Amino acid sequence: MSVVLADPPPPVDNTWATPAIAVPVTVVLALAVLYLVRSARASTTTADGFLLADRRIGPVQNALAVASAPLMYSTMYIITGHIALSGYDAILLMTAFTMGTMLALFLFAGPVRNVGGYTLGDLLAVRVRERPARMASAVLTLLTYVMLTVIMMAAIAFIFNRWFGVDALVGLVLPVFVVGLVTVGYVYLGGMLGVTRILVFKLVLSVVVVGVLTAWVLARFDLNLFSLLERAEANAAPVPSGSDLLGPGRLFGEGATTLVHLSKLFAIAVGVAAIPFLFMRNFAVTSGRDARRSTGWASMIIVGFYLCLSVVGLGAVAILGRDNIGVIKAHRDISFPKLADELGGPVMVGSLAGVAVLTIVGVFAPLLHSAVTTVTKDVNVLRGRRLDPAAELKDIKRNTLIIGVGSVLLAVAMLPVRTHIFIPTSIDVAGAVVLPIVVYALFWRRFNTRGLQWTVYGGLALTAFLVLFSNGVSGEPDAIFPDRNFKFVDVEPALITVPVGFLLGYLGSITSRERDDAAFAEMQVRSLTGAVATGPARPAAVDDEDRDGRQDRAPSPVS
Amino acid sequence: MDTAAPAPDGGRYLAVHHSAEFRELRRRSSTVTLWASVAFFGWWFLGSLLATYAPDFFREKVAGPVNVGLLFVFLSFTFVVTLAAFYLRYARTRLDPLSEKIRADLEGASR
Repeated sequence: MSVVLADPPPPVDNTWATPAIAVPVTVVLALAVLYLVRSARASTTTADGFLLADRRIGPVQNALAVASAPLMYSTMYIITGHIALSGYDAILLMTAFTMGTMLALFLFAGPVRNVGGYTLGDLLAVRVRERPARMASAVLTLLTYVMLTVIMMAAIAFIFNRWFGVDALVGLVLPVFVVGLVTVGYVYLGGMLGVTRILVFKLVLSVVVVGVLTAWVLARFDLNLFSLLERAEANAAPVPSGSDLLGPGRLFGEGATTLVHLSKLFAIAVGVAAIPFLFMRNFAVTSGRDARRSTGWASMIIVGFYLCLSVVGLGAVAILGRDNIGVIKAHRDISFPKLADELGGPVMVGSLAGVAVLTIVGVFAPLLHSAVTTVTKDVNVLRGRRLDPAAELKDIKRNTLIIGVGSVLLAVAMLPVRTHIFIPTSIDVAGAVVLPIVVYALFWRRFNTRGLQWTVYGGLALTAFLVLFSNGVSGEPDAIFPDRNFKFVDVEPALITVPVGFLLGYLGSITSRERDDAAFAEMQVRSLTGAVATGPARPAAVDDEDRDGRQDRAPSPVS
Repeated sequence: MDTAAPAPDGGRYLAVHHSAEFRELRRRSSTVTLWASVAFFGWWFLGSLLATYAPDFFREKVAGPVNVGLLFVFLSFTFVVTLAAFYLRYARTRLDPLSEKIRADLEGASR
């Protein structure tokens, strides 16, 4: 059995799945998305159109897309069961996701768009030598892409088990192929505008179904939140630590393990916003001001959405009772469909099943788009390929298919491996590497190439080292090597790697003689005002090496 | 990115960077960024610390089934909305006019 799927979803008595409704709903949604994507085709006739929608994504559309992109199977479907089971600790973990958007709002959403460009590499190249900047951007974006894609494809198998009642293992691999390849087709057809429309559609549907469920749950308690909370607390099964559902300590206990809890909260709060594919959207917005506004609005939308998810999660245990929800870690994702079945019956379950599939499509699509963008704008430069616009568009389209299909195949091949560690690891990488280099590039005068490289490669090496010895790899029943135990890291690596990432960037920068106050001035002026000065070339630099590649790039057009 | 376009003018950026107007813009921007971040993440990490190291305080009942911990989550959500609204308003009224002017001067002068 386990040859095909790493953790075959532990068998449950699936009484709620109604494929007769779920499949037609999913097909209708797929066709609706196809329509949305096809109507965006006109924007994909140029490279800039495909990669950036010609920077015409308006603030409202972008706000919805920014709020939509981080909604995954784990942050929407598993988390509700997690709340039903673990209560307060799970709610706190979930709220950590909203904290990250505030970091993006205050620090980089507007400035990143003001500077312009296509990728993280364009941003970094204003401050450091171009090749290392593009190398770092390609490594970080593609690494995140591979890790998250593998996990998203695995989530599809779980969705088809939980929501469609598919048990046969072939039946689980097939949907992974189909959904993966259809998504590749969407990206191919629609480019950035198409991806944005998928995200908006996903958010609107998610808000509608979760909103309906929230209202329904509250209606069961005569709109009295207090009696819902009391019932949830009364229904919760006792845990060894003795903590109540609504108080902290249920998930992580007390004593030494509390640091684990804290480290996870910290990792999510500082890491999520810096995941490359999430913040690369800002490049496609109409202006820096609109990027800032849309991020602010997105944080408000996310807060409201997660508030509803808390009600749904607590409602699951309040309505279904302690034995009817998923009572073990691996069964957390059955509480949501069971609650939907109890309240809305097969129609509700079927609709949610379609939305669940769309949720994954709405993560894989922007991921794939970000990978194609970095290959086009970073990897091509590293390989010395400078393409004319027509050839570039062809290259982009071909890359979409190659990377997309290749990663679907890779993800299917990876299904037998337990990869759940990839989500926290990509968050750790974002916090330990992406966040420091973006903050330094925007705000620190001394930042230079060596600082960048120390942060990127030192941060990655340290993260890899700590993850290797963490409980995702060994020492736990659900680790990659469950029979071995060489772990000595219990905390989420980000607690260590984020400060170290900042420290490495500092040390690398001050030990290098490279210093370019003009580039810092350019970055500050551009990031705060969006201005682009054109005119005679910059005064010749003292150190030839530290200028390579910088002068031959024009600032991006600001519309 | 059109490689044939003229290169960015470092001298002009440096001049703007040293101008009084830009310094004022940067001062306002840094101040609001710093204080908003300190207030928000200070609040959030203080809450996280309390939840992990003073769980009994978070279990303290406030009203009915609502305890300090749930109140903290609710206040955090409220804080996100109000602080985001405040920040957007501040940026719109105090930063944008200044940055628009600097941008117009810089781009106008270079055309």
